[in-house]
Amino acid sequence: MSVLLEVRDLAKRFATRAGREPSPWIIQGLSFSVNEGEFLTIIGPSGGGKTTLLNMIAQIDAASGGEIRFQSQLAPINDMKSLKPGLNCQIGYVTQEDNLLPWRTCLENVLFPLLVQGKLNDETRARAQTLIRAVGLAGWEDHYPHELSGGMRKRTSLIRTLVYDPPVILMDEPFGALDAQTRLQLQDDLMRLWNLGKKTIVFVTHDISEAIALGDRTLVLTRQPSSVAGEHRITIPRPRDIRGILTHPEFIELYQRIRAQVQ
Amino acid sequence: MSNAEQTMDLAAPNGFNWRPYIVRAGQIAFAVFLIWVWKAGSQSAGEMFVADPFKVWDRLLKIAASGELGHHTYVTLKISAIGFAIGCFFGVGLPFVLRRLPRFTDAIEPFIMASVGVPKYALIPLFILWFGINDAPKLWLIGLLVFYPVFIAIFAGIRGVDSRLINMARVVGASESRISREVIWNALLPFFFSGLKIALPRAVSAAIIGEFLVGNEGIGYYIEHSRQQMDVTGAFTGIIVATALVLIVNSALVYIDRKFSAWRPTDRHMEL
Repeated sequence: MSVLLEVRDLAKRFATRAGREPSPWIIQGLSFSVNEGEFLTIIGPSGGGKTTLLNMIAQIDAASGGEIRFQSQLAPINDMKSLKPGLNCQIGYVTQEDNLLPWRTCLENVLFPLLVQGKLNDETRARAQTLIRAVGLAGWEDHYPHELSGGMRKRTSLIRTLVYDPPVILMDEPFGALDAQTRLQLQDDLMRLWNLGKKTIVFVTHDISEAIALGDRTLVLTRQPSSVAGEHRITIPRPRDIRGILTHPEFIELYQRIRAQVQ
Repeated sequence: MSNAEQTMDLAAPNGFNWRPYIVRAGQIAFAVFLIWVWKAGSQSAGEMFVADPFKVWDRLLKIAASGELGHHTYVTLKISAIGFAIGCFFGVGLPFVLRRLPRFTDAIEPFIMASVGVPKYALIPLFILWFGINDAPKLWLIGLLVFYPVFIAIFAGIRGVDSRLINMARVVGASESRISREVIWNALLPFFFSGLKIALPRAVSAAIIGEFLVGNEGIGYYIEHSRQQMDVTGAFTGIIVATALVLIVNSALVYIDRKFSAWRPTDRHMEL
């Protein structure tokens, strides 16, 4: 398996504003790599710079030090002006908020990336329809975001990223704000979709069970300034039963090991 | 879903929904009552001061038939539209320019906000002094009165555009011009329309006030001219025409707004 994405010695502090001390280091000396087709979950304390980390990988925020390589190519992350958000559509980003365009219907939101990339044709439209059906949004295509439930909006934002098939997808606590039942359903959906395509996914969460249930490997981050506190390979065989995994003997052992590391 | 639809959904199983008809009947009754108050006022104050509503109606038919009504309305609408277009052009354009110049914007913002406080109608004598007795002072007045609400609405709207939506659009590969057209423009539309709802009636009133003072055509001229002739009925007729004009322009705007913003979760009962 080849390394697709590599983060080395990454550091971040926020810029000085006039008359203020620079912010403390949010991230310092953070290094890890992601293999092609791997589902990496990252877990860390809240306020630990997880979103900042993903923003830097997605190239919508500049780093204060370190480097990010994508397919061994160095990404221009060191100043705001040279950033290339999404790295030419190679990095998809499912943010914490759904960020749907409120004036576009569910289907139009899903098609938006294809439209702006000039890839809207019968084949991609069919793909969008397949995804919509796969996550149970059939019949809701013509509804505006404010007419959809939180879970439906989340699904829409998820497949909006899947539809243009970026090689890497970053996910920032995508299911954090949902109720337990909807979250299980969406985790199930995500697993199914991932099994179809085996995309490379970097999934950030603060929920240890979620990190174990979904991931091939879990990174634990330290408190601020964050760096990697530990790494755990999740050997529970796939396909996994998201609902039954909580009682798997390996799960319990992993949970305790990770629990001890999360500060 | 709007409240009206909800009420109807709830009412439907019980049979026929009388509610909208009761509201409509109440409106008609109230209109009749207002006309009665008007008529009574005219009788007690004398027709020298308050015109008789039925004579106003006759006059309306008369000037409609003679073509006077059409001509004055056309003149007022035309000058309002041109002034409105000028005010809108700068009101929409300037915030987009200022968006690119954040430091300059910070520097001049207090001055812009101070100029909002200047009473625009008080400038009319100066405009006449500067630009003469023609359409120019009217256009300046209308333009300024339209500019401010549009400018303030768009300016606030641009500041309020959700940067997370812009970042999302960038990540999925949207170009900057696509972002302006898609994300910023659509996010601005509700602000733009709320600015227009203030600006459009203002444009018409400003045109009428301009016509009081300058020129010899237009609804404003008709009102003022009638007053000078002690023709109270004529003045009242002019006011009725002006009111109708503002109402028509406004309902056209509401219609367009509705077409453009079906996606907005507004309560339709709140609309003006």
